[in-house]
Amino acid sequence: MKKFSISLMIVAIVAMFAQGVWAGDAEDLMKKSHMAYYYAGDDGLSKVTMKIINKKGKERIREFTMLRLDITEGGEQKYYTYFKKPSDVSRLTFMVWKNPDANDDRWLYVPAVDLIKRLSADDKNSSFVGSDFSYEDVSGRHWTEDTHTIVSENETVNDRAAFLISSKPKQEKDSFSEKKTWIDKETFLPLKEEYYNDKGKLFRIFTADKIEEIDGIITITQRTMENVKKKQRTTIIFDSIEYNVGMKENIFTERYLKNPPRKYIK
Amino acid sequence: MNLRKISLIILLLVGLWNISGTSMAQELYWGGFVEGLWGAGIDDNNPTGRDYPVAETRLQLRLESFGDNAEVFGRIDFVQDGFDSSNYDVDLREAYIKFSVNSVNMDFKVGRQILTWGTGDLIFINDVFAKDYQSFLIGRQDQYLKAPQTAVRVEWYTGLGSFTVVGIPDFEPNITPTGDRLSFFHPNKGKIVGAADYMAPVEPDNKFENSEVAFNYSRMVKGFTLAGYAYRGFYKSPVGFDPVGYRVFYPRLNVFGASLRGQVYGGILWLEGGYFDSREDRDGNNYFIENSSMKGLVGFERQVATDLTANLQFSYEQMVDYDQYETSHTQASDFAISMGMPAPVKAEETRTLVTSRWTKMLNSQTITISLFGFYSPSEEDAYVRFSAEYKYSDELSLMAGGNIFDGKDPYTQWGQFTLNDNLYLKINYGF
Repeated sequence: MKKFSISLMIVAIVAMFAQGVWAGDAEDLMKKSHMAYYYAGDDGLSKVTMKIINKKGKERIREFTMLRLDITEGGEQKYYTYFKKPSDVSRLTFMVWKNPDANDDRWLYVPAVDLIKRLSADDKNSSFVGSDFSYEDVSGRHWTEDTHTIVSENETVNDRAAFLISSKPKQEKDSFSEKKTWIDKETFLPLKEEYYNDKGKLFRIFTADKIEEIDGIITITQRTMENVKKKQRTTIIFDSIEYNVGMKENIFTERYLKNPPRKYIK
Repeated sequence: MNLRKISLIILLLVGLWNISGTSMAQELYWGGFVEGLWGAGIDDNNPTGRDYPVAETRLQLRLESFGDNAEVFGRIDFVQDGFDSSNYDVDLREAYIKFSVNSVNMDFKVGRQILTWGTGDLIFINDVFAKDYQSFLIGRQDQYLKAPQTAVRVEWYTGLGSFTVVGIPDFEPNITPTGDRLSFFHPNKGKIVGAADYMAPVEPDNKFENSEVAFNYSRMVKGFTLAGYAYRGFYKSPVGFDPVGYRVFYPRLNVFGASLRGQVYGGILWLEGGYFDSREDRDGNNYFIENSSMKGLVGFERQVATDLTANLQFSYEQMVDYDQYETSHTQASDFAISMGMPAPVKAEETRTLVTSRWTKMLNSQTITISLFGFYSPSEEDAYVRFSAEYKYSDELSLMAGGNIFDGKDPYTQWGQFTLNDNLYLKINYGF
């Protein structure tokens, strides 16, 4: 009993300390979460399987390899995607230069016609390859686009202690009117997100389904976005991830768009 | 292509694969599709005399193997033409080896390949590589607009930008309507004709000095891609006629041009221009060979709503030495009339073209509705292509579409196809 109260006291002290250190600023938490989720390591190489499951349970599958390089921490990033499946997009490559202060630059290469196409990137909310994830979900919505408030500091998601943050877009017309995010107290990764429309109705749910440590970095290796209205969901499974592989910036150019860097893409 | 050629190519590919085995992953990737395409002509009295411009089953196979610095790729189509039941065709779309020499930042691509550059959306100025307009007009997949060529492509990447040289030893023309699947305007007959009146053009002799060379320089400047182009070769369409030898041919051509493409106002803007130097009629006084010309285009594309993209393009073409052309036209007219032939068509000095593309995706991008329209204010003709595609699953898709032509005169670019309006159905299974 005595032992128990001591450990309880320690837990309470740690909790208070943790709160004192971390609970101060909602925006700071969102920033940390964004960094943990989108800027892990200096670069990342992942093999991804994406399953789009419609309301009838029918599955569509996309397989691709994704390369990411951070140019500035929390700022510019470059992405490269090589599609393997399905057959009609096989060998297609896609490149994004993400710029949080301006529109992204996007390129698509269609090998069957040797064509490099520049894509307009005005609408970040359009679906990424027909999935329930938008372009913004894949490359990240900058935390400064919303105002954040801490709703609760004592939440639990899948046995993990979490903060609950409410975010509202600064811009009047946006893809949602409120987003609730459950942020893991230990890793700052988003464990769950709920998106509400202007009528206050829940329309999208994000969940971190599987969390693993990879190269010393805690990573969400399986995630799902559910479209409540369409009764459809998309699960992204990272079949493999490597961090800090030493990618060079010149990989993210038209040269490699046409000639996939086979060192990374098998 | 005959069987011996094909087996030779397959042998060569296997050989290359083995030679490069040391730097290659030992895995061979493959895939492809099976496709059925049926197209129906909807105009009466088409001189082709056939109701179905296309009825075919196609099997495409892709083979690929690669290592860190080299890659072997092959893509071959087996086609059964349902119109002519005895006709089987093999089309080697691509068969190349690609390798990098990283110490000098160079990439090489050697073999049969598809080549594309330039910025226009279905309008080509500096892209002088072979095209298959026949496939384009009867409902085959967009990829068939580009015809393969056997070539060597060398790309050199430097701090100043990238330099590309393409050498094409064997001349490969555009595939244009022959009157069999699609009727077309015959200048000497002065009317739209079918296969009976088709004159097969004479290709340049297969010798070293007739090799085509294309050059491209490109670099990124503040998010814009700037490019310069040069080409020495031939017109890819038979725009030359020899009244003495009574033959149609591909005149010699040089092209010099430039382009710019980048992001503006949340969309993509592109600009391209080129000078076509008609080397066999530099003064423009031979009516039977295309005059030199200047061509330019500007386009803008943006997303107008979620999963709805639209673009608009203007192009302008001006004939050089129009005075000479007019004089030569008068002479040609006198000659034709004296021979009892219809007076030849007189082209305008300038030609304008407006195009617009609309693409809408629905139902989690499993349905794609597409519309592309060409309209020429100067020639008063138009061409509209539209399609709706439904992806039933990752493997199976269905498509219905059409190609509709209209024009005031039968001799303009689209006006000559007015009897070729067609609707088609396509079913595709990918693996």
